[in-house]
Amino acid sequence: MTIKGIGTRGLAAGRAFMKPDVHMDVIFCGDATAAFKEAYDAVHADLEELAEKEDVFAAHLEMLEDPMLSESIEAFLGEDMPPVAAVQAACEQVCGMSEDTDDEYLRARVDDVRDVCRRLERKLCGDVFTWGDMEPGSVVVADELLPSDTAEMDMSKVSAFVTHRGSRTSHVCIIAGNHGVPVVVGTDISGITKGDVLLVDAYAGEVIVCPTPQQMKDFEARLDMEESSLGEVYEHRFEPAVTREGKKIPVFANAGNIGEVVSAMEAGADGIGLFRTEFVFMLSNQLPSESIQFETYRDAVLACKGKPLTIRTLDIGGDKALPYMDMPKEENPFLGLRGIRFSLAHPEIMCPQLRAILRASVFGPVRIMFPMVDTVEELSQALACLDECKLQLTQEGISFDRDIEVGIMIETPAAVIMADKLAQQCSFFSIGTNDLTQYIMAADRGNASVSYLYNALSQPVARAVAMTIDAAHRAGIRVAMCGELASDLNATALLLGLGLDAFSVASPAVPSVKENIRK
Amino acid sequence: MTSKNIVITAPNGLHARPVGELVKLVKSFADSAVTLSTPVKTVKASSMLSILSLGLKQGSEVEVKVEGGDEAQVLEAVSSFISSITE
Repeated sequence: MTIKGIGTRGLAAGRAFMKPDVHMDVIFCGDATAAFKEAYDAVHADLEELAEKEDVFAAHLEMLEDPMLSESIEAFLGEDMPPVAAVQAACEQVCGMSEDTDDEYLRARVDDVRDVCRRLERKLCGDVFTWGDMEPGSVVVADELLPSDTAEMDMSKVSAFVTHRGSRTSHVCIIAGNHGVPVVVGTDISGITKGDVLLVDAYAGEVIVCPTPQQMKDFEARLDMEESSLGEVYEHRFEPAVTREGKKIPVFANAGNIGEVVSAMEAGADGIGLFRTEFVFMLSNQLPSESIQFETYRDAVLACKGKPLTIRTLDIGGDKALPYMDMPKEENPFLGLRGIRFSLAHPEIMCPQLRAILRASVFGPVRIMFPMVDTVEELSQALACLDECKLQLTQEGISFDRDIEVGIMIETPAAVIMADKLAQQCSFFSIGTNDLTQYIMAADRGNASVSYLYNALSQPVARAVAMTIDAAHRAGIRVAMCGELASDLNATALLLGLGLDAFSVASPAVPSVKENIRK
Repeated sequence: MTSKNIVITAPNGLHARPVGELVKLVKSFADSAVTLSTPVKTVKASSMLSILSLGLKQGSEVEVKVEGGDEAQVLEAVSSFISSITE
């Protein structure tokens, strides 16, 4: 049997390891309060152990201990409700009460409450499921995978993910991409049972369930071929990617922290094309000072060992909130105060960040990149702020790279349309295809029912990419791409044909994208 | 039982971060039961979710009640913490 879905990249074979659905129809008889107490204690012990490794579970533990939740559950138990129903009812009551709030942080806690309640329900149903039981080489099969699932499992035992829900840019695909694990999402998993042999072809978005001996043999041959060609490709990872026409194309990597910069260099990246700075702002429960930021950016520059580091200014707002900032709830976060809009509205956050980046620029080649730029006015304002910071540093006698290059992300239709004007004010563009695709197609990238529209290789998106590159080249500036599309080996030839000057991809994809450019 | 009315002076109201600190403070007084009341409802001050669900803004009035333990001292500690929130 072959099932179809949406795939990422890679091939893998393994036995199915199922994340079970909870069967809520268990008939309960006995002492409900005692059963709840027992489940509570067991979940508490589990979370305490998990919290030592991952912070997300410390937050879950806090919610489990919150008297509002446990009292609500006890009240429902007092009305003779069976324990699982009581947990569900309490969960809805607590979450419902808090969903009306405009406190961003509280709404994140609501998600934690739901996660904790699922855990309690599982315990109450006698579900002894843990990710610790997973055998090495497993293909994880699930209706949906939550961030707590991937945080809890040992990724070195996972050979592939197959899920019913999710899209190519959902959480599980991003985590899997960082580990080089293939994923097929949006597929019907009802025919799979635990231990089934699965052949996962993420390139084609196909999973063969219980293959015939012939299918098995063919797949093994493909795996061998991929492995040997990957091995060869890997050996050439430090060599430059030069096209047949003799044009040298830098292949950069995307990184979200210092560790990822280090692994990018090991993977043969020609530099970092997108250094996300959000992590610096998430490390503590207050705004990071200029000096903390400076130290972080300096360390990243040094980890690049002389190769260029493109630092993107804070891309926060809407769906990605800073827990310690009181950020108003927005009806449409993706159309709200995010990226450069947020920075320009908060000069007290923007200026220290720019100063910190400038100060780090004496340690190696640094570029500054502004996200979500829509208009020439926004770019002018950001550049004025940067000039002000340079002036301050000069007056304070602090050195920085006076010729630091400034570029912008192209990720909105407005920026594509105004690319010719924007190109006159900056040194490079980097096309962010994940957001650009969702804005061009007006299709939410997390919504599976419109995922047929969310295709970065579709004509409207390809035309937008072409328009951007043409406008940039006419103004004499370079264009890179840092979205998922840049890692897509089916798109490399097209992107080179459109004149793309540089790629910025997930670290594991660097060697194969380089090899693809050489073809 | 002892109690006191306080007007929230924090410009952003009682939002998540200071409430987290408040809950820690309240939990450190194991012998006292501390509650916060508005005209609409009364909640335990040891529950972050409950306090946040009150949605206390700058200018809202809240009654702090302490029962058990060193009531006067706990009341003073909790109310001065709430008044000292400036963010």
